[in-house]
Amino acid sequence: MNRNNLLAHLALATAIILAAAFIGQVRRWRNEWKPVRVVREVGELELNPVAAKGAEVLVRFKPGTTLDYIKSIVATHHDRFEDEIEAVDGLTAVEDEDGLDADTVVNEYLKVPGVEYAEPNMQITLDDPRSSNSFTYGSGSGGSMVSYPMNLPDDPMFGSQWSLQNTGQNGGKDGADISAVNAWDTTRGSESIVVAVLDSGVDYTHQDLVENMWHRPAEVAEYSDRELGTIDDINGFNAVDNLRDPMDDNGHGTHCAGIIGAEGGNGFGISGVNWHVKIMPLKFMNAFGQGTTKDAIEAINYVIDRKKDGVNVRVISASWGSTSKSKALGDAIKRAGEEGILFVAAAGNSSENSDRRPHYPAGYDLPNVISVAATDRNDQLATFSNYGAKTVHIAAPGRDILSTWLNGTFREASGTSMATPEVSGVAALVLALEPDMTVAKLRERLLTSVDKLPALEGKVSSGGRINASKAVGEN
Amino acid sequence: MSLNRDEATKRAKADAGNRTGVSEDAIKLISAEDTEFPDAALGAAVSGEMSGMMLTSGWRIILDAGGKTLEYRANPDQIRLYKFKGKNYRI
Repeated sequence: MNRNNLLAHLALATAIILAAAFIGQVRRWRNEWKPVRVVREVGELELNPVAAKGAEVLVRFKPGTTLDYIKSIVATHHDRFEDEIEAVDGLTAVEDEDGLDADTVVNEYLKVPGVEYAEPNMQITLDDPRSSNSFTYGSGSGGSMVSYPMNLPDDPMFGSQWSLQNTGQNGGKDGADISAVNAWDTTRGSESIVVAVLDSGVDYTHQDLVENMWHRPAEVAEYSDRELGTIDDINGFNAVDNLRDPMDDNGHGTHCAGIIGAEGGNGFGISGVNWHVKIMPLKFMNAFGQGTTKDAIEAINYVIDRKKDGVNVRVISASWGSTSKSKALGDAIKRAGEEGILFVAAAGNSSENSDRRPHYPAGYDLPNVISVAATDRNDQLATFSNYGAKTVHIAAPGRDILSTWLNGTFREASGTSMATPEVSGVAALVLALEPDMTVAKLRERLLTSVDKLPALEGKVSSGGRINASKAVGEN
Repeated sequence: MSLNRDEATKRAKADAGNRTGVSEDAIKLISAEDTEFPDAALGAAVSGEMSGMMLTSGWRIILDAGGKTLEYRANPDQIRLYKFKGKNYRI
């Protein structure tokens, strides 16, 4: 670079910083003139625990932008630099400290040279266990004493798990299941495969999960992040408050985890799709079932970091979503795909055509995303399930699914939330046999080994319901 | 927060009164029925909100405020106003 060019670049950089500083000052003046809002709706504060914080936005600067430059821009806006999302070059979480609303902050950042996009940090809400429609079983140690054929697990509640073996129980259709029993002739899973459950955490002390929980191996150092500091992630990751404990205080995540990998053949409770697997809890929802896209992204960032550290996490199971699209979340999921991680997501429960009204994260058109619809015990598309011949890829059992819950209990629940971990679980079974399979091949295997069903023709792109037996090579 | 149906109805009436300017005493309860909502946001997600895709039971509370019908959705932990002037609200 010659002297003239150097001077020109310096002048441009100075002008950008001065412009940003000016914008920040204007915002401060404007804020000082704003009337104070004194009216609050009934119960609003109780229901929105993040309301006390300033507006949070996710800002992506052009790849290659230096952290110093980003921090200087944030500082001139009088905002707080919250976190750098290392997995996505240039992605930053910022908290406003001027009392502005998120849309205003977004618009300000969009004016800054070098910003690719900015968006509000969106809230994500999960169910509270007390409000669930489903019922609760006892501790699970009971059940009538019966003998089990060799291929069947001796878990006493297995007879209620129609998704794994449908014998026509409770008015179902014989064989309308994922053919788990046949698959178990070939593999019952592997402890070398790690599935991340991105949810409300997991009750890792549940008796039917405890043996299949992931724990940070001794040779992997504690998680360290420039902004979050060092976190002892011995049991997984908690993005809600950056404490080390990803214990579930909602129930939804524990339910999803049990579908993937409640210990099979232990004479207790139920069996997961995998008898043996390692489940990594990623908590990004609080006890009220509320979380944010920023926390979801931080959890995905954590998974990518751990993958780079040698942890064999190959699947993220995501049983949540909305019709709101976040570019930042899409970028994080894409990065996970580049690290060899499949992202399985719920298609949604609005009985809608997702081709016309997309649902995210299931609706991201990315090579590592599988969108999952739900079927019932008669191999019909569940009445609540979203569908889409182009954008929903596969179906799996999602109505009246029995799985683990809080406090050592079990309960049935329904939704594409429950169908999603069925697919994540089968993905883990396939990987147990073929651990080096690429994401592209894994996705292709799952989508081409379905049981094609008339009810799903024109409803999901594969035209079928997942079949574990075919996926692992049995017929 | 742990609401029952009566408490949720009471809060819904208060909110309806504030929004419509109709006296709370004049707001009529049309129905308050047990129902199942499609997701954790009770099928009434506010802008930008995502929710767990598990069916969630609760109450559908229909009120009449001066001839205007308002639909509230609630469970023990939340109350939402569904499609009021085209938007959902978390109360």
